[in-house]
Amino acid sequence: MRANTLLVGAAVSALGILVAMPLGFVLLQAVFPELAQGSLARPLAHLAGVLADPKLVELTINTLKLGACVVLAAAAIGIPLGTLRGLFDLPGAKLWDVLMLVPFMIPPYISALGWIMLLQPRGYLQQLLGIHAGPALFSFGGVVFVMTLNVVPVVYFAVSRTMAASGSRLALVGRVCGGGAWRCFWRITLPLALPGIAASLLLVFAMAIEEYGTPAALAANAGFFVLVTGIERRFSEWPIDLPGASVLSLILVALAMLAFVWQRRMLTGKGYETTTGKPARGETLPLGAWRWPAAALFAAIVAVATFAPLFAIAATAFSRTLSGGLAIGNLSLTHFQAIAAGGSEASGALATSLMLGAGAAIVTGLTGVLVAYCVVKTRTRGRAVLDALAVLPNTMPGVVVGVGLILAWNQAFWPATPYNTWGILLLAYCCLLLPYPVRYAHAALMQIGDNLEAAARVHGAGTVTALARILLPLLAPSLVAAMLLVFAVASRELVASLLLAPTGVQTVSLFIWRQFEQGSVGQGMAMSLVTVALTTTVMLLATLWLERRQARGV
Amino acid sequence: MKIKPLIGALAFGAMLAAGQAQALTVYTAGPAGLIKQLADDFKKQTGVSVDVFQADTGKVMARLEAEASNPKADVVISASWDSALDLHKRGWLLAYASPNAAKVPAEYKGPSYVAQGLSALAIAWNTKSGTPRPTDWADLAKPEFKGLVNMPDPAQSGTALELLSGLQSARGADAWRLFADLKRNDMAIAGANAQAMNPVLQGAKAAVFGAVDYVALGNQAKGESIEVIFPASGTVIAGRPMMILKSSRQQQDAKRFIDFVLSDAGQARVAATYLIPARQDVQAKRPVIKDIKSLPVENEAQRAGRQALLERFTTLFGRK
Repeated sequence: MRANTLLVGAAVSALGILVAMPLGFVLLQAVFPELAQGSLARPLAHLAGVLADPKLVELTINTLKLGACVVLAAAAIGIPLGTLRGLFDLPGAKLWDVLMLVPFMIPPYISALGWIMLLQPRGYLQQLLGIHAGPALFSFGGVVFVMTLNVVPVVYFAVSRTMAASGSRLALVGRVCGGGAWRCFWRITLPLALPGIAASLLLVFAMAIEEYGTPAALAANAGFFVLVTGIERRFSEWPIDLPGASVLSLILVALAMLAFVWQRRMLTGKGYETTTGKPARGETLPLGAWRWPAAALFAAIVAVATFAPLFAIAATAFSRTLSGGLAIGNLSLTHFQAIAAGGSEASGALATSLMLGAGAAIVTGLTGVLVAYCVVKTRTRGRAVLDALAVLPNTMPGVVVGVGLILAWNQAFWPATPYNTWGILLLAYCCLLLPYPVRYAHAALMQIGDNLEAAARVHGAGTVTALARILLPLLAPSLVAAMLLVFAVASRELVASLLLAPTGVQTVSLFIWRQFEQGSVGQGMAMSLVTVALTTTVMLLATLWLERRQARGV
Repeated sequence: MKIKPLIGALAFGAMLAAGQAQALTVYTAGPAGLIKQLADDFKKQTGVSVDVFQADTGKVMARLEAEASNPKADVVISASWDSALDLHKRGWLLAYASPNAAKVPAEYKGPSYVAQGLSALAIAWNTKSGTPRPTDWADLAKPEFKGLVNMPDPAQSGTALELLSGLQSARGADAWRLFADLKRNDMAIAGANAQAMNPVLQGAKAAVFGAVDYVALGNQAKGESIEVIFPASGTVIAGRPMMILKSSRQQQDAKRFIDFVLSDAGQARVAATYLIPARQDVQAKRPVIKDIKSLPVENEAQRAGRQALLERFTTLFGRK
């Protein structure tokens, strides 16, 4: 019991520091317009003005529309692919996993830029095939298309892992009892995978309503604006409107809360325990004649989601000039040479980003398990609050988290503060990315039977031993997947970094952004390519190492 | 137990912060290479190291605003003249007239701010676009340019707002007729400066209305098929203000830094990035003030109307 109290206490403090502090200060800023000047004068004076803005309703509806469409599209692609991968003996399964990971390694603003350069008039597609898709790209549909391709991996990995974990075993029981293959899938396998699917779709919704770069680059010209673009505008338009931006952020957070509540309601009161301690390594089912059509489907998705933006990025990185287009004479390594010549700066940025990414993965991984355990396996009061707090940051645009962290940590009363050190970037990444490990661990824990822990207790193990020896190993696959995602996203995060970067610290995303600002698209793309290659390699090595450990039964 | 590493990281971070107390802190928007060279040169000359925070003007100002109760910056370099005027009005800035500012034209300095360099707003035209070479703003409203023009969003680009405001102050209703014509010609409003430029480089668009000239000149020097055209009827030459925060604890070093940027060596660095040096007696790598027909400099009343102006413009182009 005491150990449980300790765990809950640790979870509460971690969430308090990582999430409640910045969010709390944003809330304060929304209430007290002069908070940043250190004054609590005129509370709510600005609220009427912000809320009376007729654009507000439109921005909110647009945001919901975008979130819903991206969720539907990502589900339509991610669930079938994840199911195929999780349940069946798919040719080249590991290869598809790696390739599906790549879209996640490409920062969303880079992939949006890549798609623009590929599809706009006189873009690469027109240079190759004589056709372009300008009008379709710069539209609502274009934004949904590009965003969906960026987030499909979240659904794919969650679905394939939970399907594999719940296994085909129970469905086989259904078959033995006379159910048809489809019936067993609809009635047994799919419902059992629901926590994983719902968790990943909630993440996708949150990511879609929070993302800034893609709607700003693609939809603004179609007259389609969302809350995030409105928030960004209040932060960059002179005079800066911190209180107004804070109010809009809270609306965004409220939208995500609604989705969260809905997701919880959908899942509560049902049992999802499939990991019971009985031998479970279910065999994957043979696909038979469907082997090659399934592989072709994967190839088609990967070609669009992974190779199309990569091609645009690489083409730009290897071109001497952008106006020179795709031509042999325009091929050049100058951009890579420039990066190499800037040696220390570029490699320093890479090292900083990789370390911050790894740090964020470790901190959020530990915190994520802790929070998910307290929420799923203890009977603590206020579990739902902990759970909600852990998913909130995913809806907060990077720029809001950035301002929240400045307001929270740049106060004169702190004896020591991480502000203006790399520590503030770590805090920002941990805050923004905590939802991944929490969601993934949460879904996995729901599938682990309580009797496993009880059995350990009966044999004399304390809470900590049971957690470390029984639950953690069972959680490991989902947790590692989530931590790798954290690593990937943290090592390329841009918006919060732009605001919070301590003086003198350079990250990869800042390096790339500065190249773009200077008009050096080619150099920015070259650096992006190097980074994508490097982070993919790091993640591959980590995955291989873990698989080997597991294979040895360690 | 699980948050130990975090506390460790925080403590370590705080130690790092304490070790940097002596350096001068500069917040800057603008060419990345430039501030790095200026910082290195300044350290060589004075022994004072310079910590740089670099972002776009919006992020620099948002950070200043969020830090207001406990400011960190000593020197701020912005790309928007308005931000200097506003900070001055709020009483945040230290009055300082650098001896090296004597050769900076009067309209590009004030009691507590002075231009680091200047840039003109121009037409950046893709020479391979198959469109006739434009010579004035109005050319971009012609049928040949239908759907082929980008303009940086004045809400996101301080320099684009300067152009908008300068055109309206100089031409009044004529300026709005021009904007309406451009709107009818499907001119696109495209984010900040870089986002407006890239489609022109690749050829999706033919020209930028109101490109920041030094970036375009840099692109041209790298071999892009781009030409920078200063419109015949006149354009805005925008200053990039440097200022010292009153809250600075290193005011002497901050003044030395301003002096240094305005010195021969500092201005040569500015010139190397294709900006117009603030000091008129320093050699530039490009057309300077006297070569460009400029619109009259705006007075305070004209500047004061910018919020309403921006509102009207964003409504015209359907921005939210």
